[in-house]
This record gives sequence, structure tokens and C-alpha cells, in this order.
Amino acid sequence: MIDSILLVDDEDLFHLVFEDACSLLDITLSLQGLNSSDEAEGLFRKWFNEGPVDEKPECVFVDLNIVGSSFDGIELIRKINFEYGNHVVIGIISSSDEPTEQAKAISAGAQFWIIKSDDIEPRLEEFRKDYDGYKNRTNPFKVYK
Amino acid sequence: MIKIDKATKQALLDLYKSKKIALEGNILKVIDSDGDEEFDTYVKDSIEKDKENRRKRLDITKQIQNKNKELLEGEVEKERVNLELVAALEEAEESKKEAISAKEQAELAKEEAETAREEAEVARTEAEKSKIEAINAKNLAEGDLELMQKRTQFELIGTIVKVALWVILGVGVITTLVFMIALFAGKDTAVIGSTWSNIIGILLTNSFSIIGTIMGVKYASSDKKE
Repeated sequence: MIDSILLVDDEDLFHLVFEDACSLLDITLSLQGLNSSDEAEGLFRKWFNEGPVDEKPECVFVDLNIVGSSFDGIELIRKINFEYGNHVVIGIISSSDEPTEQAKAISAGAQFWIIKSDDIEPRLEEFRKDYDGYKNRTNPFKVYK
Repeated sequence: MIKIDKATKQALLDLYKSKKIALEGNILKVIDSDGDEEFDTYVKDSIEKDKENRRKRLDITKQIQNKNKELLEGEVEKERVNLELVAALEEAEESKKEAISAKEQAELAKEEAETAREEAEVARTEAEKSKIEAINAKNLAEGDLELMQKRTQFELIGTIVKVALWVILGVGVITTLVFMIALFAGKDTAVIGSTWSNIIGILLTNSFSIIGTIMGVKYASSDKKE
């Protein structure tokens, strides 16, 4: 089970879906949801500059296009990985399946790409199985379709 | 894992039995029942109930998500149709403008044609007038020419008549003189006398013939003119 997850997504309904799916699949016991990449960046900046570091989530799911934010999910991943100390399993959760965007995500340090759909549970289950590989950085980038 | 004291366990069990109120959420997954079978059953039942509730909520949320997606797609479609309608409306407006312009041009062309027709009518009238004037001028010229020809003819006839009359008169006078000389001289007048009477007769006859011819010509000319 993943210790704590942070979901950054502008769609409130998806927060409910994700929370229920994670609970049903016993993926995590601690899930925090944010609606904007600016808010998430603020938190990571605070944890990086002031701490406490143990408040940092173990895994971060970021939406690709976050409406109402000053930058997209890929830029948030880049900032978390290259400006705010990394040390989290991080990837994209989006309805998009664009190879060009996926290439950008890889260069920003994303470890996985989960495609949102009605049937999200099987993908999350598969992700949970691969999770240890992401945590110890042995798994390559993977797209869950 | 969290261990709960006996009194709290009992209180939770009593609450569940009396009011059917049980613990919910992920907290259930970290509770250690510590060998208490009744509480363990309570925790497991509560977890199952929580999962059932979450499953229901997940299904409903997904349905709402789908509805939202359909609504968004509908909005996009509506927007697309609206754009098409606006484009069609603009096209129709453009066509209307072109039709109005074409109508105006046609009306202008019609007016120009009408003007040209009127000008042609005026030109035709003027041409008719000119033609009449030309015919009149021609007739006048022909009349003048005829008059001149007649005058010349009359002058010629007059001259002929004068010459003829002079010739007749001369011949008559000479013959008469010759006949008188012969009479007074006492010569034989048998031949000259008959000659003189013949000549006088012929001259008179011819004179009247000439005069008659002249009168006839004059009369015929005046009839033709009328």
C-alpha cells in the first residue's frame, strides 16, 4: 500500500472517483487532493525550503491540463523533480494519449502515464503492482492504457 | 495499527446495534481488533459496508462524469452548429448583398437601355425629319431644275418662233417684193404669181402650224405641272 498520495487535478468529480477507487483497491490510506498546479507548487516549495519533509506525499498524480493554473502538469513535474528536491514517485494522469506530450513528460522526469477513462480501476491496480519498481527507480516509464 | 480499549469497543458496538451507526472510511483499515471476535466482525462488516457505499458512489460519480462529458460534447457540437449557422447566415447576407447589387446593376442597365432607346427614338425622329427635309429639298431642287429647263425650253422656243416668224416674214416680203416688181415691170407673172400664192399659203399654214405646236407644248407643260 502506498503511504500517501497527492492528486493534482482541476476536475472535482475525478477527485471523488480517484479517492473511491484508491480506497476500494486498498492503494492508499492517505489521499490529498489539490485543484491547481500553483497550489501544489506552493506546497512543494514550502516542504523543500521549510519542511517538514515527512509531510511530502510518497506518490504524486498530476493531470496534464489543469484549468485555472499558470502552468500545466508537465511543468509541475519538472519543478518538483528539478527545483524542489524530487524524492517522490510522480507521473501524469490524463485522458490524453499524445506521444509528444508523453515524451515531454519523460524529459520532465515523469515515471508513468495513466490514461483516465471510465474504467480507471484496472489501471490503478496494475500501477499498484508496478509501484515498488517506481519507488526504487528500476521501472522504466510506462503508459497505462 | 490502532488498538482500541474495551469500553470504546463496547460503546461502538452498542451504537451500531441501537442506531446502525458504524465507523466509515480508511480509519477502519488501521484498527486492530486485538482478538475480540465481536469487534473484529464489526470492523469487517463496517469495511464491507464502507466499500459497498464507495462502490455505489464511484458508479454514480462515473455516471455524472459521463453525463458531464456528454454535456460538454453537446456544448462543443452546439458551438460548432452555431458557428456553421453564423457562417451560413453571413453567406446568405453576402448573397443577399450580391443579389441587391445585381438588381441595382440590372435596374441601372435597364435605365441606360431606356435612355438609349429614347435617344434612338429622338435620333430616328430627327432622321425622319432630316429625310423629309431632304425629300423636300430634293423636290425643290427638282422643281427648280424643271423650271430652269422649261425656261430654257421656252426661251429656245421663243427664239425659234422669232426666227421662224422672221424667216416667214422675210420670205413673204421678198416674194411679195419680187411679185410686185414683176407686176410693175410688166413681166410675165403667171409663174411668180402662182409661186407667190403657194408660198404665202405654205407660210401661213406653217405659221399657224408653228403657233399651234407652241401653244400645244405650252399647254402640255402647264398640265404636267398641275
